[in-house]
Amino acid sequence: MQFLQKNEYRNYFVQRFGIPYEIMERYTFWERGRKVWAFSGITLEIERMEILGIKALTKGKALKPSTAFLRVIGKYASKNFVNLEASKALKFLRGEEIELPPTLVKQLEMGYVIVKSDEDILGCGFFDGKLKSLIPSKYRLQDTWV
Amino acid sequence: MEEPPLKYFEVYRSIIPRFEDFLMSLQTMQPYWMRVNTLKIEEEKLVGRLEKKGFVLEKFGELNAYKIVEMPVKHPGATIEYSLGYYYIQDLASMAPVLALQPEEGDIILDMAAAPGSKTTMLAELMRNTGVIVANDANFRRLKSLAGNIERLGITNVIIVNRDARTSSFGVKFKKILLDAPCSGEGTFRKNPWGFRGADERGHRYLAEQQKMMMRNAVRHLEDGGILVYSTCTYHPYENEDVVKYAVKELGLKPVEVDIPIPHTEGVKRWGEEEYEMHRECIRIYPHLVDTGGMFIAVLAKK
Repeated sequence: MQFLQKNEYRNYFVQRFGIPYEIMERYTFWERGRKVWAFSGITLEIERMEILGIKALTKGKALKPSTAFLRVIGKYASKNFVNLEASKALKFLRGEEIELPPTLVKQLEMGYVIVKSDEDILGCGFFDGKLKSLIPSKYRLQDTWV
Repeated sequence: MEEPPLKYFEVYRSIIPRFEDFLMSLQTMQPYWMRVNTLKIEEEKLVGRLEKKGFVLEKFGELNAYKIVEMPVKHPGATIEYSLGYYYIQDLASMAPVLALQPEEGDIILDMAAAPGSKTTMLAELMRNTGVIVANDANFRRLKSLAGNIERLGITNVIIVNRDARTSSFGVKFKKILLDAPCSGEGTFRKNPWGFRGADERGHRYLAEQQKMMMRNAVRHLEDGGILVYSTCTYHPYENEDVVKYAVKELGLKPVEVDIPIPHTEGVKRWGEEEYEMHRECIRIYPHLVDTGGMFIAVLAKK
């Protein structure tokens, strides 16, 4: 299956997270099946590419951003992000649901959010009144970790 | 516990300097080394965080490379910082081929045998996610680990392909190529002495033939004036100097002298009946020099 260039996906990150357009212009966006990939490199005429850049979005009823790409661009977000204190950050990394204080809840729109803790961009969450962790299992905090 | 099978290495007594020290080093486990991913975090910040968690780290020279002297976990990857992609577990010796290639922002680079991605991700870090790296591996299953590491480290300038590096076309030419060839892996002995298999004479010759095929294909894809770094993690001259000799004599490449900030020796001058004129331009890293694995590197230019 071919990668098709569709740079209009930049707008999703600008509109949803307030990431400056000039930051998003660093990436070209490429659609293949249900996945959308972000690529910061020089485009080459190469056939049969397996992967092009980093997975940025999955298409479905709504676009779902990937934790991996949010960890790259999340520091530039100006809206729909949550900054968790250390203990809640650990819970989020374990995949647990987080109760948010009303002041934070007011600032968020329903849907996908970027979850930070201080300078760490932890990844993608889903806000529906509570904060659900969408951290992929391979990145989830294990009991044996420090 | 059974002694590690050191006899295997006796054949190299005449070519490895301070051979007794070399043998001694093989009797100790190789320490873990890590490279800070400066695309995601500043070096000092990460070191501070890990030290606070009980890690003891030793910086190597001016590189963003650290020897892990002590750690509070069984595996150095069992931390939140690792999961966030702030560092990569990579032997110092394995950083040498990347340094020899001298990647710059905007470069167009082919990494011909890229999995699991130690060198690809280091190239991308030094290129600050600009230019482009075509990262290839013939083994489709190994592409998963390559893709996983690229994703974890936040690398965005890589195209992954799945081709036979000996014969396949990549469709374009490159200014720089890294051929870190599959080899008998003698330099990784210290990581797992009891699981080590190595190769016999016939095995080294077979691998050398495969490596020469890859070299020939690499030259096809190199721009005029382009640079190719050939590396292996093994000691046998058939897989190292002999392949470089082939590249010089048969493919018309020119050996280039480069310096790298990691202690090393020059290449082997003679092995059996074979003489290697370009041995001074070859680089060998041995475990007894700075407590690493072993590595061979040669830098070659297309005239």
